Amino acid sequence: MVGKSFCKRLLSALIFGWLGILINNNCDSQTIVNSQNPNEKIFLVRTKQFNEFIDRFNYKTNFNGNPVDSVFKSKMTREKIINSLFDLKDFRADLSGKNWSKNYTDLKTEFINEVLHKNILIFKYSDKIIAEAISRIIYKGTPARISIFLTQEIVGNGMVKWVISSVKGDLFNLFKPDTAYIRFIPPSSNETDFINLKRALEDVDHLQEYSSKDYYPDYLSVFFYMVKSGFIKFDYVEEVLYHIIDIPGWCIKVKEFNRNEMNSGWLIYDVSRNFSDKISYLKALNK
Amino acid sequence: MFKKSLLPLIALFLNLVASGQTKTAVTSKEAKIVDEINLSEQDIQVFKEQTKQKVDEFQQYIVTLGSKDEPAEKRNMAEKEALKLFYKGAQMEISMIMPDGIVQKVNRSMEKYLARLKSLPFTKVVIKFYDIAYIRDFTKGPDGKYYSTATIIQEFTGFKDDNIVYTDVTKKDIEIIIDLVEDKFFKEKRWKIFLGDIKASETKTTNT
Repeated sequence: MVGKSFCKRLLSALIFGWLGILINNNCDSQTIVNSQNPNEKIFLVRTKQFNEFIDRFNYKTNFNGNPVDSVFKSKMTREKIINSLFDLKDFRADLSGKNWSKNYTDLKTEFINEVLHKNILIFKYSDKIIAEAISRIIYKGTPARISIFLTQEIVGNGMVKWVISSVKGDLFNLFKPDTAYIRFIPPSSNETDFINLKRALEDVDHLQEYSSKDYYPDYLSVFFYMVKSGFIKFDYVEEVLYHIIDIPGWCIKVKEFNRNEMNSGWLIYDVSRNFSDKISYLKALNK
Repeated sequence: MFKKSLLPLIALFLNLVASGQTKTAVTSKEAKIVDEINLSEQDIQVFKEQTKQKVDEFQQYIVTLGSKDEPAEKRNMAEKEALKLFYKGAQMEISMIMPDGIVQKVNRSMEKYLARLKSLPFTKVVIKFYDIAYIRDFTKGPDGKYYSTATIIQEFTGFKDDNIVYTDVTKKDIEIIIDLVEDKFFKEKRWKIFLGDIKASETKTTNT
């Protein structure tokens, strides 16, 4: 037991050392953590689940998944932890690279400062955490890719479920915009019992042009219909991305980085300004 | 652990709700019942500890199953016991990175996965698990069960004679479910931990 405890402390010390150096100097982890099995050390520091990402962002748990205590706080500030939750290989943040972006670097710094200054936390079951499941489907016998957007719903006394909120994909772009011709049902059609309706509904590629100016296609209903009618067969989810708009004024995007480094697992790959609510955000994703 | 006065209703509810991985819809009356049966924070912590044990148990069975040195009887027993840890209908989804970098996924029932593991075309198989397992907090679902996910890492090495012919490191995300089930011995409902679907994905690692 004593040996195990000592090993754990030693491991923590090595990790703290590595992270400090990584964040300050962007150094390779392998030279810092010398171990018989470096993969195991990497696995410990890696953000293994999205849930762990949220806990680390909220400064709730340490690398072992235990609550953050004063010892941990003295070695790893929240600023360091949040910084380590970004993809540190992002070209935009690499000062020595040609793709370095001052705008992005400034935005990232502003975001971190605001989170720290206002002590912003992400609510784990927020409906403003949007999971994008990039999925492989078979559409009329041919493989295709769509995005299914899922959000969390709290039911009753703290019970939680994921629900499908929206879908996106080229195959839902049924309606091609056409500005060459004006399409409409003439003003006097009512007097002829809308004989023109047949003509309009045979103009299958431009049906939306016969609709109201307020019309907005509901792709989710189209998707459900296609699945139910057998036009779409769901295969599997290829990748999951998260759009977190739970932080007022911001959107962060998180995905899993599968690489042999401590800066791996679920990490932030983009941060941007956002002032849209969930519905507007989801609508904008479909444009 | 839970309100005993609700036992008859729970029994009725459990008979109504189908078992299996699909989270079956419940009627509003059943939903009210599941809303009222809750595990305390303390209970949940106990179950989190027990989850580690279940995952360890599963890992031990996998090691035995894969080991060609073990007698067939022992490996068959490990297969049988491993299956008992799972919810009926649990699936294994395996991600494979193709030479062109595209990820392909294959779904297998747990029965098929374990049977395949037992009969892999190697003369010797070594399966190792890391000591670390990450288990997320349990969250109650609308069906009254509690859900979590445990993440573990498995190192697999396949030999032909004394030569390594295949090696991989996979991350396994295992769904964990706490459900109320009938304890036939005590003739009452008890909370029990089950393993559910597993997502297995190959990780890019250093060869050790």
